[in-house]
Amino acid sequence: MKHVRIKDGEHTAFGNENNPFGWLPPAAQTPAAFNLTDLVRRCRWIASDIGASGFALFFHDPSPNGVQLAPCFDSSYPGMNAATKAIAACVPTGEIVRHLQGRTEPCWWSNDAFSETAAALGKLAWISKVAAMTAEHCGIAFPVHAERDRSGLIVFLGTEIAMSQDALFDVHARCFSLFSGLCRIRSRVDGQTISRRELECLKLTANGYTSEEIARLLKLSVHTANQYLAQSAQKLNAVNRTQAVAKALRLGLIE
Amino acid sequence: MTCTAAQDHPASIDNPGQRLASRGELTAFLTGLAEEIGADHYMLVGITHDQARADARIIASNWMFDAIELAGKRVIASLANGPLTAALGAPPLPLVTAEVAGAVGLLNAEEARLLDALGHAEICSLRIDAGRQRLFALFSAAEAGAIDQAALTRIQMKCCYALSQARNLFAGAAMQDPLSDRERECLLWVSEGKTTDEVALILGVSSNTINSYITHAIQKFSASNRAMAIATAIRSGII
Repeated sequence: MKHVRIKDGEHTAFGNENNPFGWLPPAAQTPAAFNLTDLVRRCRWIASDIGASGFALFFHDPSPNGVQLAPCFDSSYPGMNAATKAIAACVPTGEIVRHLQGRTEPCWWSNDAFSETAAALGKLAWISKVAAMTAEHCGIAFPVHAERDRSGLIVFLGTEIAMSQDALFDVHARCFSLFSGLCRIRSRVDGQTISRRELECLKLTANGYTSEEIARLLKLSVHTANQYLAQSAQKLNAVNRTQAVAKALRLGLIE
Repeated sequence: MTCTAAQDHPASIDNPGQRLASRGELTAFLTGLAEEIGADHYMLVGITHDQARADARIIASNWMFDAIELAGKRVIASLANGPLTAALGAPPLPLVTAEVAGAVGLLNAEEARLLDALGHAEICSLRIDAGRQRLFALFSAAEAGAIDQAALTRIQMKCCYALSQARNLFAGAAMQDPLSDRERECLLWVSEGKTTDEVALILGVSSNTINSYITHAIQKFSASNRAMAIATAIRSGII
């Protein structure tokens, strides 16, 4: 029975030429088909397409201590190179964190030694220049966002980065795809162990119901409802149910 | 480098120096995008979460008034943020209304016929991330197959860039942050699992003060308890 006609997307921007690994399919289709190594490989392909020699992916961690960029992987995976550490260390006060919080446009930096790259990037529309974050490279940084307010930054470094205007849109779209894949890997790790019943209880808690109300709605005893909530908090490594709700929402386990 | 912004994108709205400064420019920008892909209609929608229920808030649209009224906000919300919505970096999945989208639970036969008759034979929904603000752009054409699929990713990114520069034009599309800095700080710590006493210690004020901050936050969200206030704040991206 044919209900929805879905056009073949393979011949568009996501064909083999542009994205050798295709796009990351929705979680429902292939629950465990890719891992971090695949993502690093995709990132390497993007880097080679734009002439970058290095790359790094940072998670934007909202924490009460202020904004942090937590490095996830870089071109030295599984190790971590000096440039990545330098970027992670210098950002808390920098404009790039502010940029990431409010903006989607990519930004780039350069210095006098790389006037050619600077000229090439300077011609592109939509992207803005920021203060140099690494002295020995030019860089271009793509803000990325995913479900549940998770955001990050994918940085490409090199001395000969160049791309056309259309390639900019394309590369950024691939960065988004990469990041959503990464977020899915992250929530998969935690998501496997939490039962459906526990998630139901968490979701109802998030909607403001008390244990007594949850017990009544799900036809459980109050003790069982409390036990489900305690178990889910334990599995999420949370100290109480409020933190468990917050963690489950941030990980995308509940809506 | 063969390509420059001026050659490939003559429209002045592509110039990063010229931001969308008014509603009129936003309309012109969206009309331009619709033309670029061969769509007849556009609609820019924000989804607000009101106590766990999703609701659509239309920011800009050239749909007929009747089409919006007849389809209803609920249908628009589910079209905008549904299973066929193209995330950034995923290939678009156009919905052909005549072929009834009941299978994906978006429209029933009656709603599909209605949209088809009103000139929305094919609808594409694109997710737009303007900074941390999430919006949805619906592009539709009177004839199925009229929308240029290959160009959709490009205009999706353009839309993200332009709207992230012009967030003041649609302030209020998502929930406004009603909290004071102190209240937000308290909620953030509570969401990290801290108790009232611990937050009081961290912020160096009395626990009564902390409780009052949290009570205010709960009231502002019309939540029934702490967990719900935290959930509402996270869902709307405030913490």
